[in-house]
Amino acid sequence: MATKKLAFIIRSLPYKTEASRLALTHAIASQTVEIYLEEGDNIEPVVCFIGDGVLNCLKSQQAMKHYGITSLEQHMKNSLLLDLKVMICKEDVDRFGLKEDHLIMDAEDVGGETKAQLVPYSEIQKVMEEVDHLQFF
Amino acid sequence: MKLGVFMSDFRGGSDVLNRLSAEKLGIILVGNGIYHATTKENGKSSPLLDKSANFYVLSEDLESRGFSSADVDSRVKPVTYSDVVDLIFNDYEKIIWI
Repeated sequence: MATKKLAFIIRSLPYKTEASRLALTHAIASQTVEIYLEEGDNIEPVVCFIGDGVLNCLKSQQAMKHYGITSLEQHMKNSLLLDLKVMICKEDVDRFGLKEDHLIMDAEDVGGETKAQLVPYSEIQKVMEEVDHLQFF
Repeated sequence: MKLGVFMSDFRGGSDVLNRLSAEKLGIILVGNGIYHATTKENGKSSPLLDKSANFYVLSEDLESRGFSSADVDSRVKPVTYSDVVDLIFNDYEKIIWI
């Protein structure tokens, strides 16, 4: 019985490239790989937003209205709905003068119970050291 | 020369933009360029906005990223797609994209 830990670290801004969207969809998809695993084996994905990447977490994104595509907000809520661990770097949020109110911290409107965590960078560093696979987007 | 510049990056391109000069310079912030208009780092606005130019920001790109016109620096004018078309045809002779 073993758990593979994966970290998806998002440092890119949203929309101009697909990087942050790919990180979230890969993190969500990583859970479906369980059907290929041995009994008792498990996958534990963590999504972390650092640097400019914290700007993916802003509320009220209207990408569907203007671009006709799902917003990163929706992908983030889907991650929380599926109980993925989502961490947002507090130092970077502070650097941009943002408050918790500006950020997507939960997915209650779609029935999610898990909340995102605003954490110091040192905690994200700890996650990076602990995981088996580290991926930057 | 009346030069219109589309700026679609937040972190890159400023080095080129800083050297550009024109009799009339318009900087149109689109895509990830909108963060120049909305975001302060450590309480400071983007240095790009200190340049002598007319600044515009595309509302559709603002709203897609979770901002509204209320978040925009007072030096920047929010514009729609059709306003940008008017700027291209009526206000600037040459248009470049950074």
